[in-house]
Order: sequence, then structure tokens, then C-alpha cells
Amino acid sequence: MIIELKKFGTTLVSRPSGKEAWLAFQPNLKDVTDDKDVIVDFADVLVLTPSWTDEFLTPLYDRFKDRVRLTNTDNASVRATLEILDKNRP
Amino acid sequence: MQNKLISIGEAAEKLGVSVKTLRRWDAAGNLPSTRSGPKGHRYYKEIDLNLFLRNESALAEQWAMVSVGVIPLNEVYCPTRDVFQARLEKLQHLFQGVVSDQARYLLCAVAGEIGNNSYDHNLGNWPDITGIYFAYDISNRQIVLADRGQGILKTLKRARPQLASASEALKVAFTETVSGRMSEARGNGLKFVRKVIIENPFTLKFQTGDAEIFLKEGDSDIITFPSEGDIRGCLAIIGFENKI
Repeated sequence: MIIELKKFGTTLVSRPSGKEAWLAFQPNLKDVTDDKDVIVDFADVLVLTPSWTDEFLTPLYDRFKDRVRLTNTDNASVRATLEILDKNRP
Repeated sequence: MQNKLISIGEAAEKLGVSVKTLRRWDAAGNLPSTRSGPKGHRYYKEIDLNLFLRNESALAEQWAMVSVGVIPLNEVYCPTRDVFQARLEKLQHLFQGVVSDQARYLLCAVAGEIGNNSYDHNLGNWPDITGIYFAYDISNRQIVLADRGQGILKTLKRARPQLASASEALKVAFTETVSGRMSEARGNGLKFVRKVIIENPFTLKFQTGDAEIFLKEGDSDIITFPSEGDIRGCLAIIGFENKI
């Protein structure tokens, strides 16, 4: 399945909005079968922070592990956010 | 003569931006012009330009430092996260053409992380004024954020009771992954801020309590200094002096 983050907004900065996005998206995730990858598409996201991403991407990784794939991560704030989360992931 | 009208060329020079940028701000309603003369040329009221040129960092510092809190002017006051989010998105549009796209996305991410940190750590516990002071100063190339919250020392003491000074707390906040919020496993916000500042032509002055740091591109260490004045919450001044 493909998750288009731009559908949550293009300025994704706060923890509460990241948490809200995660909760709101739960019904869409329940049908993902074990053989399917979960692709997170960052296209058109302009401003991203670790706070928002930690609330959305971290539980997604916890649940789907190496089936999570990221695409369109060229934006500078997206890259900086992913680098800092990767570095601090246990 | 605050009502004096100034041509778009002079206004551009005074603000340090291009005429094209002023036209775009006019169209977006960020800095509206007055049309005058038979051809309807754009003019600016001197009072509007002076408001735009206010020394925002000095005003924010004063607001954070006074002993009795007052509600700031409406245009710089974000009582809730929603107001802050809307103004952050406006800033992102306003900076179009002032800095490169990648730089403005990074600057907004840094401002977004610092501003939201204030709400995250003070929700339900603001000592006097709820919310944050958020302003930008195009001519001095600065973004300013301040809160009259509990400050980093008090927040981090929940996770690190042995912390004894604002200086120690500031160092921990910018170097270690730690959160003062019980349910949060991580506290990456200020580490992200540091990474972006030292990897780009930006600067950051960050004060909490009686301690401050100054970060710039290429810095590898976090060195804290005693501040001239004491503030209870936090004050951040993000600089982007170089045209990039």
C-alpha cells in the first residue's frame, strides 16, 4: 500500500498532528496483508520535523518493520528529519 | 511623517528585498501597497514599512524577560498551536524568493520544532502567559520565538533530577536524546535543530534561564554562556544572514 503524506498536509510539524494522522489512518492499515510492503510517499511535503514523523513513522516501523519503504525523500527538511530519526532509532 | 508614501523601489531597498518580492507579498496580502497616481503605481506607507522593520529580537527578549507577563501584540502572539501552524505556513510563503526553497523549508522546520516544543512542554502548566511569541524580521534576517514557560531546566529535571543549572540542561537538550515528557521515548527536537543549523548557513541563539548557546554553520561543540538577563522560559533567534 502507498501512504501519501501530502494528504495529511504539506507542513507536518507538531506531535499532536502526527499522532492524529496515525490514529486516523488505522482503518486503512488493517487490510495490509503480510506479503505487502507499506510505501510512505513524501512527495509534495514541504516542511517536516522529527516530532511529527516520530508520531507517525515510528509506530509504522514498529508494526511493519522492514516492509516499510520510503520514497520521494528529496526535500531538505524530509532528509534532515529522516537522518536524525535513523541515528536515534534503537 | 508616518503617513508618507514611499515608492516600491525605495521600499525594496529599505527592506532589502527585490521589487518582484514586494509585488508578490502585495498580491498575497502579506505587505499590502497603496495604489496612487494615474497609472496606479504601488506605494507603501512609511508606518507599514517601519512596522515591518521592527527589531523583533529585542522586543521578544524584553517580553520574555519582564517579571510580570503581558499578552503580546496580536500579530506576534500565538496562544495556541493552531495559530502557530497557520503563521508558520504564512512565513513559508513570505520567504519565497528571500531564501532558496530548500533553505526556507529547513528554516520553517527548525522554527516549527522550537515553537512546538514550547507547547509540548508547557501544556497545562504555563506559569503566566499561555502560548508563544513568534515573529520574523526580514531586514535583519531573523526568526524569533519566545515563551514564558517553565524553561528547559525544570522540564528536563523530570527525566534527569540531578541537573543543577540551566547551562547543564541546555547542553543536555542539544546533545542527548532525552524527553521530560513521561510517555515519550525520544526527544529529538533540539538535536534536529542543532543538526540543521550547523549544516547550513544559519545561526541560532537559544536562551533558557540564565544560560544561552550560540550555534553557527560548522560548529561541532555546544558551548554555553551566562546570559545578560534571566528568563523563565525560552528565547530562540534563528539567523539566516547569508543570502542563499
